[in-house]
Amino acid sequence: MKVIEIKNVEKIYNDSEVKVHAVNGVSLDFEQGEFAAIVGPSGSGKTTLLNMLGGLDNPTTGTIIIGGKEINELKGSKLIDFRLHNIGFVFQSYNLIPVLTAKENVEFIMQMQGVSYKERSKRTIELLEAVGLGERIDSRPARLSGGQQQRVAVARALASKPKFVLADEPTANLDSKSTENLLDIMEKLNREENITFIFSTHDARVVKKARRVITVEDGKVISDVRKE
Amino acid sequence: MKKMIWSIAWKNIWRNRVRSLVVIVAVVLGIMGGMLMIGFMNGLIEQRIDASIHNEISHVQIHEPEFMNNEEIEYTINNYDKIKNILDTLNGVVAYTARSKTFAMVQSDWSTTGLVIKGVNLEKEKQVSDLSNFIIEGDFLENESRLPSIVIGSKAAEELKLLNYQIEDNKMAAIDSLQIPAETTAKLDSLPLKRYRTEKQFSKALAAVLNEHEMKQFGKQLINYFSFYRLGAKVTVTISDTAQIMVPITFRVTGIYKTSNDMFDGMTAFVLENAVLKETGFGKDFIHEIAILTTNNEEGVLVAKELQRSLPNYSVLSWKQIAPDLAYMSDMMEFMDFIYVGIIMLALAFGIINTMLMAVLERAKELGMLMAIGMNKMRVFSMIMLESVFLTLTGAIVGMGASALIFALLARSGINLSMWSEGFEAMGYSAIIYPVVSAGNYINIILLVILTGILASIWPARKALKMNPAEALRTE
Ligand SMILES: Nc1ncnc2c1ncn2[C@@H]1O[C@H](COP(=O)(O)OP(=O)(O)OP(=O)(O)O)[C@@H](O)[C@H]1O
Ligand SMILES: [Mg+2]
Repeated sequence: MKVIEIKNVEKIYNDSEVKVHAVNGVSLDFEQGEFAAIVGPSGSGKTTLLNMLGGLDNPTTGTIIIGGKEINELKGSKLIDFRLHNIGFVFQSYNLIPVLTAKENVEFIMQMQGVSYKERSKRTIELLEAVGLGERIDSRPARLSGGQQQRVAVARALASKPKFVLADEPTANLDSKSTENLLDIMEKLNREENITFIFSTHDARVVKKARRVITVEDGKVISDVRKE
Repeated sequence: MKKMIWSIAWKNIWRNRVRSLVVIVAVVLGIMGGMLMIGFMNGLIEQRIDASIHNEISHVQIHEPEFMNNEEIEYTINNYDKIKNILDTLNGVVAYTARSKTFAMVQSDWSTTGLVIKGVNLEKEKQVSDLSNFIIEGDFLENESRLPSIVIGSKAAEELKLLNYQIEDNKMAAIDSLQIPAETTAKLDSLPLKRYRTEKQFSKALAAVLNEHEMKQFGKQLINYFSFYRLGAKVTVTISDTAQIMVPITFRVTGIYKTSNDMFDGMTAFVLENAVLKETGFGKDFIHEIAILTTNNEEGVLVAKELQRSLPNYSVLSWKQIAPDLAYMSDMMEFMDFIYVGIIMLALAFGIINTMLMAVLERAKELGMLMAIGMNKMRVFSMIMLESVFLTLTGAIVGMGASALIFALLARSGINLSMWSEGFEAMGYSAIIYPVVSAGNYINIILLVILTGILASIWPARKALKMNPAEALRTE
């Protein structure tokens, strides 16, 4: 089943005099249950592409279809609501609400979705246990390591039962041990729960774990390799 | 969901403790300033109104309608017995009394002044009016000698030159109590033991023996010390009788009163009702005014309306109609309270806006993240608005608590303005102010504070909503 279809997407930034062709004619499909890495040098357009996939940015031309819905047509609150219910996000940093505990951060997203107290409490504990933080549910982000914070972010991203999870360089700020740990958890969730992960990275070790590697350069896809 | 946003907003305030505390302290001080100002003004005005009602005008007055246009003595109230029956059964009426009210020229041996002479029934008058508590010399018509008694105000006594000044041996003997240096008081010995009829003359005499510095420092005190009212002096009151012929009646001044209203004190004199009747030949219905005391000020207005309905042929006025200036003050009071606090909150609003703006801008990435993961504009807006309201409200509640404490402490002692009291009393205000703040004031302030918090958050919140999550997340 296709979760995402990208058709001839272009993104041109022209806020200054120079036009930047950040994404230049990309067409890609993603299936349910993929574990895909987008790689490429700095400035190649990875973040721009992921932002458009997540409905955070509009393509200049082309269409993006998520679960059969063309998201360029959504505006304002409708778009925010679409993100809330369909997409999980893990960012490089500033992922969590600093004044809330790990548990509250995960619960928050389900509260916005209107999930009942009983259900969200149960799910929060399950998710935090799944990312190996069952013991730290009442800690605030400042008292967690960078790796632990990113694991909370993964739990938070999954809390809303999204169609897929987007992660823009989730390991960029982590040491190698935390990187490996985070990747193992993502991989396990992908394998066991069939959750779709799409992430960008510079890190060769991260690339190694991916089952599909999409290489971009100058806003174009130059290779798309599926390993089996 | 709401609970979560409320809790996040509250916790966010304490992320930058120092900055938030600066705003909170500013609000505390602003609210305290506003509350004290309100309490002081309300106390001042309420005391002024109460004093006027209880010493001068009472809550309701009944007159013959013509008397209101033209205060001639023939416009009397002829149905007092019928009105009494109504008043005895009317709810809200505490006490009432009937008076004659005539304008007369009053002459002492040294001067003349015009006064309103009120002929009163002593027992009933005391139930309606507190004036008998303001007697500073003599008594309130309690004793009658061969001549009928009259009680006048301190100001009228001055006008009639019944306030005199004299260096007396017994006062000189006790002058140590003033704590004025002996070398200064010694100089007073050279003054003649003469009686001075005005303050001006006595002051001049003092200035002749004391130097400028001594005059400035002790002059007022000495003038007061050596002053005395000429109680027992005779005055002639000229009233026209039934045949419109002017009849002079001689009274003896047996009491001097002093209220906080110099104007009233200079205008009104009291005699017993029969004192006027005897000499003028008017009957027992020589009544121009019925004054009524009700359970409270608001009740007075209602009682007046009710009475007017049952007494269509009379003029029935509430205190608000008798003294429109007081009514205006009373009505303006609440409005002015709003204005004071409004101005203070407006000034504070700029500080709050600034703080909230900083809070929003330094959290740009976090807000971008929240919008990215699905927090909609309504929720972001509510969160920022609540932060602003909590910040303001915290300060306001502390400020109101502190003010309430100060009011509790001042409730017994009041704020003593006697340093400036002369000017105040000349305008009809008393020298010790007991600050008054009503529950309504507190509620109004809370509402105003919440409104300020909301308004101050609009601009910062709009700034937050305009942010593009993708860009906010990109910026390092
Ligand atoms: N808001 C913007 N305005 C103008 N140019 C932009 C903007 N955002 C990105 N770009 C440009 O678009 C191009 C692609 O940027 P993008 O951030 O997508 O690259 P990236 O592959 O994520 O790089 P990195 O690996 O450094 O994160 C770059 O040349 C960048 O300078
Ligand atoms: Mg990037």
